[in-house]
Amino acid sequence: MSWRGHAWLALPARLYLGFVFFYACLHKIADPAAFALDVATYQLLPLWLVNLTALVLPWIELVTSVMIVIGYRTRAAALLIAGMMLVFIVALGWALGQGLDMSCGCFASSSTDHPISWLTMLRDAAWFGLALYVLFFDHNPVGLDRWLAARRSRTRAFEAPGR
Amino acid sequence: MPLRWSKALRDAAIVVLLSAALALASNRLRPTARIPLVAQREYEVLVPCPEFEGRAALALDVSQLSPSERGLLLVDAREKAEFSRWHMPRALSIPYDYFEPKPEERKVLRTRARKVVVYGDGENPDSGQQLANVISGKGVKNVFYVKGGAPALRAASLERGKSTHPGRGTP
Repeated sequence: MSWRGHAWLALPARLYLGFVFFYACLHKIADPAAFALDVATYQLLPLWLVNLTALVLPWIELVTSVMIVIGYRTRAAALLIAGMMLVFIVALGWALGQGLDMSCGCFASSSTDHPISWLTMLRDAAWFGLALYVLFFDHNPVGLDRWLAARRSRTRAFEAPGR
Repeated sequence: MPLRWSKALRDAAIVVLLSAALALASNRLRPTARIPLVAQREYEVLVPCPEFEGRAALALDVSQLSPSERGLLLVDAREKAEFSRWHMPRALSIPYDYFEPKPEERKVLRTRARKVVVYGDGENPDSGQQLANVISGKGVKNVFYVKGGAPALRAASLERGKSTHPGRGTP
């Protein structure tokens, strides 16, 4: 669990997840109205939550993608990404169970994206797995977290040389 | 360890709040394509009907149908009310819903029929043809639909003088 190699193994996973989430949020931020329609198409949320979700979710994706790539508060970012993936998987499963012939709206608006399938869910499950790996195994992530921790310990050592 | 989790949860909550603030600010500052925080009316969600995939069921004329054929399963795709008004003898009722086309094909599979003949309302589109296509698409072999559906079958049975269930037959 505390093997040092996890940090280096998790690095490509973090970069990949960051890229995926960064890319996924772009069209949603650019056109929130289209994304709101995508959210409504799932017929899962009450009407009062549709626009709010369509507005806030892409920004969470953007912030977490940047955080996980630069390694700042990596566990929180991984926790949020895992949470979002879980929500997406549940929504996809529900839509597939209902037999809805629709696109997921993940990387483009529903009108241009590929239709959802069990493969989409499998893909999301793989990303969920990566996020869990980062969350549970990457305790000393390569990046800002590690640099800041090292800096803090250096400062402490400098401030209390007698101890 | 619990301290690490509580820190991660706290950071996650901060990220959500920060993201919400950014989202609201960007929506407010947006010159075009701004959306209200709460939708005022329902979205017009248009989910296209699933396109048929797989093997299409074959059409069958009423004259080609012999209800006493061995291993034959007759399926009525009309609504329950229509079914209770009139149906072919020994027909299995599996109403076809255009909005939720999830027929219980297991019922068909359970019968181990050698040939499945589906009849519907005979309209355009015909519920019988739709259901037959779905059942056939699920891998069931020898699936047919009756051209003209229940009205054609009923007319033919009246002509032959062989009505269906006594009492449950013609109203």
